[in-house]
Amino acid sequence: MASEGELGRKWDRCMADSVVKLGAGFGLGIVFSVIFFKRKTWPIAFGSGMGLGMAYSNCQHDFQSPYLLHGKFVKVS
Amino acid sequence: TAAAFDSFRFVIKGSLAGAAVYVAYDQGLLGSGTHGAEALRKAQAALPPAIQEWTSYIGWELPPTPKFDFSPSDSWNKGVQTVMSALSVAPTRACEYTVEGWNYVKDLVK
Repeated sequence: MASEGELGRKWDRCMADSVVKLGAGFGLGIVFSVIFFKRKTWPIAFGSGMGLGMAYSNCQHDFQSPYLLHGKFVKVS
Repeated sequence: TAAAFDSFRFVIKGSLAGAAVYVAYDQGLLGSGTHGAEALRKAQAALPPAIQEWTSYIGWELPPTPKFDFSPSDSWNKGVQTVMSALSVAPTRACEYTVEGWNYVKDLVK
């Protein structure tokens, strides 16, 4: 893995995470809107906004931490 | 009994909402950036076989779904390189096209 590709990989992770968080927030917003809020629109917007905010925070953390290595947890049984 | 039914309904709704939030958390959708990217990769890998299974169940014949292996940074870099190489050959090409156009007009006027 070339070190000059690390920034590109961080951007890719950021974009993928934004898509996932937006989708999850949107989905949970729909669930809460249907179950609790009589199918109003604002929980969907709130959930999507929360998802985007979480994604932005994760991206910021990723870009501002240059010395952290991204590894995988390997469970030792 | 109306109050009991209302509270029972509230418990059911709360359980459904809580289950949805827990499933989202368990799949890593609400965690860090790496977990989110991993979840997207898993979904991309799982989607074409699922679509294939559903279309074969319904009976439709769809063309094979294209692979979604998309890297935004790679596409951006390729785009920048294409634009820059086009800009670098632009003056030469402009001269060539001007000469061709001029010769064409001269032939028309002859």
